[in-house]
Amino acid sequence: MNLDDCYNFHDFRKLAKKKLPAPIFHYIDGGSDDEVTLNRNTNAFNDCDLVPNILASVGEPDLSTTVFGKKIDMPLFLSPCAMQSLYTPEGDKASARAAEKHGTMYSMSTMASFSIEEVAEISNCPKLFQLYVHKDQSITDDLIDRCRAANFNGLCLTVDTLVAGNRERDHRTGFTTPPKLTLESLLSFAMRPEWVFKYLTNKKFELANIKNKTDKGTNIAKSVIDYINEQYDPAMNWKDAEYCIKRWNGPFALKGVMSVEDAKRAIDIGCTAIMISNHGGRQLDGSRSPFDQVKAISDAVGDKLEIILDGGVRRGTHVLKALAAGAKACSFGKMFLFSLGAGGQQGVERVLQNMHDEIRRNMILMGCKSLKELDNSKIIYKK
Amino acid sequence: MNLNDCHNFGDFRKLAKKKLPSPIFHYIDGAADDEITYARNTSAFDDVDLVPNVLRGVENVDLSTTIFGKKLDLPFYLAPTALQRLFHYDGERAVGKAAKKYNTMFGVSALATVSVEEISSMIDTPKMFQFYFHKDRGLNDACLERAKAAKFDVMALTVDTITGGNRERDLRTGFTSPPKLTLSSLFSFATKPMWGINYLTKGKFELPHLQDHVKEGTDTNTSIGNYFSTMLDQSMNWKDAEKLCSQWGGHFALKGIMSVDDAKRAVDIGCTGIMVSNHGGRQLDGSRAPFDQLAEIVDAVGDKLDVICEGGIHRGTHMLKALSLGAKACSGGRLYLYALAAGGQAGVERAIEKYKTELIRDMKLMGCTKISDLNRNNLRFR
Ligand SMILES: Cc1cc2nc3c(=O)[nH]c(=O)nc-3n(C[C@H](O)[C@H](O)[C@H](O)COP(=O)(O)O)c2cc1C
Ligand SMILES: Cc1cc2nc3c(=O)[nH]c(=O)nc-3n(C[C@H](O)[C@H](O)[C@H](O)COP(=O)(O)O)c2cc1C
Repeated sequence: MNLDDCYNFHDFRKLAKKKLPAPIFHYIDGGSDDEVTLNRNTNAFNDCDLVPNILASVGEPDLSTTVFGKKIDMPLFLSPCAMQSLYTPEGDKASARAAEKHGTMYSMSTMASFSIEEVAEISNCPKLFQLYVHKDQSITDDLIDRCRAANFNGLCLTVDTLVAGNRERDHRTGFTTPPKLTLESLLSFAMRPEWVFKYLTNKKFELANIKNKTDKGTNIAKSVIDYINEQYDPAMNWKDAEYCIKRWNGPFALKGVMSVEDAKRAIDIGCTAIMISNHGGRQLDGSRSPFDQVKAISDAVGDKLEIILDGGVRRGTHVLKALAAGAKACSFGKMFLFSLGAGGQQGVERVLQNMHDEIRRNMILMGCKSLKELDNSKIIYKK
Repeated sequence: MNLNDCHNFGDFRKLAKKKLPSPIFHYIDGAADDEITYARNTSAFDDVDLVPNVLRGVENVDLSTTIFGKKLDLPFYLAPTALQRLFHYDGERAVGKAAKKYNTMFGVSALATVSVEEISSMIDTPKMFQFYFHKDRGLNDACLERAKAAKFDVMALTVDTITGGNRERDLRTGFTSPPKLTLSSLFSFATKPMWGINYLTKGKFELPHLQDHVKEGTDTNTSIGNYFSTMLDQSMNWKDAEKLCSQWGGHFALKGIMSVDDAKRAVDIGCTGIMVSNHGGRQLDGSRAPFDQLAEIVDAVGDKLDVICEGGIHRGTHMLKALSLGAKACSGGRLYLYALAAGGQAGVERAIEKYKTELIRDMKLMGCTKISDLNRNNLRFR
């Protein structure tokens, strides 16, 4: 099996599973607790049907939309995900280059393995930076200022990760960064010599954005979980978010909003967007899926800020349904990470190409010329 | 696999299965008929989603809750279950000490294998005595008086075991107490020698609350189903419950209420709490899951007595959902029984610790700092 055999989520996932050591694969693939929310995120789309209009003389549909003040060529972009050089040595650089090629946005995690400046240098794609509020405020300030200097287009503050989720697969596989080698995981690494070779021969693993500010997550075998629990401020509140907005003074989203009430409050403090997200089912298990919640939020605030649906997206039709329910765009994490693990930059290019083609084909089948035509009338909920 | 590998309900269950002779494991693990209600008790929680609120400043979380006039440090407690020394030789001693350590309520079954007197001399934290209504009124009075003298805080009358449930796994494995050795169960006991050695050497197995009155459960091989069917009084009615309630003279609950009508009547006869419960799916199969029925009951009587959601709970988030709907607290049996079998007191403590850690984490992710922050706005039904 190789990249050419990958047509959908499951194919990319399968190939990534072959190539990545088990602890790393399961770090991407796993959710919290019983993974109920993880599964629901995608299944929710199946409780809703698309209703096409025929004979609409569609021609070539326009798939572009605008988010964070930037026009992107398709309504789907890359979610911010930590430590991408675990999957391929080029990590975030590979993702950003692929995003540029397809005219969409790349997002950088606070815990990225390349720095803000390094990625800005190699790619002109629209760029979103994902922020965590650290207990040490100078870390937060420094990140915001550097994003401005590096011409990032938008900032999103993740608000669903005050404490690390209970990812039991990580407990079992002993996932830490850098990977802790237990007897069991050793076997899994030994069976993937190519990964190990690349990992050892490329630049030293580090959390590039924060390496000067903390020794956590770099030299010592620190699990992500410990990092989150030690460094992020669980006392974070609306004032802190407002502070970040002021300091940034540009397009700004809260990532992880789920309630209508919070969506309204996001407007009040000056957000231009929200990302409806449960962190891909990695945090609060049993929490509502973005697609189940998007319509209620869009009905309440859809005209006042950009709504991005984040989580569970695996198909072009999922994107169409999300847009019809009121989202402006979608973002996805696991699917592109698997493609990154499966084939580096080429993998991400392929996944974006596939999704682009699916969205385009389905727009034509729906009889829609532009994304604006996707509204509530194009979907019916089964229950 | 050992206790350190146990991260959740399923892990404890797996380890318990390794350690227990199969008739005993299946006595805990099984339920009535086709076990439909048993499965629904847990899956009911998946039909509702939590909707968190963000940016609330949630550094410190207070999990304490007050039921039956007692403040517990946790919003859940350990439901009364029978025969604990079959599961681990320390039985109720282990469970009681773990409950004490976390300051939550310990439910002691009428069919406990350690006496109420010993338990109350061992732990000073909140205790509930679970009462079965026997035909033998002398036995009933004796149980009640002993629990009262031992300063138990709550009496819970179980009302859903008027006859034994059809637990087919027990029929197949030949579960009785003390265990009946059939050829196939013999094999299972023989392959778990540690259990057998402990059972035979760590003190005689007995049912201290019954033994002065009957020979069932002590010398002879009697099954639990038999006990229910022959010793309990099937004519028990509301008058009997009311009489017991006043005879007890303290906090009194009915355990196994499922209908709104009955919940209202419980208020009328002076109950201060009810357990919405179907006995962990072990009695009437096809009966409604506690979580499915909770909202109706809370709406009807939630302001008049403490409503407890009992059964099917495997996760902190399950508890958050029940509490959001209006339950005052949650309780469960298997949520600590497998852990008891897996590792005695240390096992139960590990299980409670896991739930506590989950609850704190989940409360933070929900944007809540105290139990009373949870309400129905946090929930959306699918
Ligand atoms: C391996 C992995 C790492 C992630 N790291 C971060 C992160 O550092 N910051 C963040 O805000 N979200 C992070 N996320 C969440 C994603 O941004 C996104 O919300 C999620 O993946 C969307 O769900 P999906 O994977 O079903 O598309 C991560 C997700 C995964 C799978
Ligand atoms: C092995 C076992 C023994 C039980 N013994 C009793 C008992 O003696 N008296 C009683 O009222 N309930 C008894 N129960 C029911 C529990 O109190 C409780 O209602 C039930 O376990 C809740 O379901 P859960 O196991 O899914 O949490 C028992 C349950 C189990 C699993």
